Amino acid sequence: MTTGEGSPRPARDRGERGERGGRGGFRRSRPKVCQFCVDKVQSLDYKQLDRLTPMITERGKIKSRGQTGTCARHQRWVAAAIKRARHMALLPFVNR
Amino acid sequence: MRPYEVMYILQPTLSAEEQTALVDRFNDLITSMGGTVEKVDRWERRQLAYEIKRCRDGYYVVVEFQGDPALETEMDRQMKLTEPLLRHMIVRRDEH
Repeated sequence: MTTGEGSPRPARDRGERGERGGRGGFRRSRPKVCQFCVDKVQSLDYKQLDRLTPMITERGKIKSRGQTGTCARHQRWVAAAIKRARHMALLPFVNR
Repeated sequence: MRPYEVMYILQPTLSAEEQTALVDRFNDLITSMGGTVEKVDRWERRQLAYEIKRCRDGYYVVVEFQGDPALETEMDRQMKLTEPLLRHMIVRRDEH
């Protein structure tokens, strides 16, 4: 079945803009390069709050790789650093 | 000898002299057990990301030192027993 011009629903397109993936889920277009690789980050410390705060959401959750484009290696560093920073009350566990 | 870093948070109610006394006490512990203090960084009073022992802010102290694992254990033990210390964390500096 094809979708005509005047169709009531604006078509379940096959990712014309890559906005919608299959099964009705939303897929954000994401940054494709890892910011940490671009900056050639060799070590990440829990005290580097300028690097860590962009990696958490308003609520205090760790942002997923899909949201930030971070590579697997650097995402591990980020997760570990955020957890240490949380223990020292530098970052929140939850932000209400 | 291994490179360590300890971060601890002092209660905001302490006077400047009481803070210095505590910092000196822990630095003395390091030297008394054969370690060396390499850097003491006292941050200004900082707001905590969440409440600890009914405190909303505290004085952060970061000390870099060299020492044996036995010193690390003893330091951790003594810090746990120190009431005006809200939180502490000892980490190895040579990890990644």
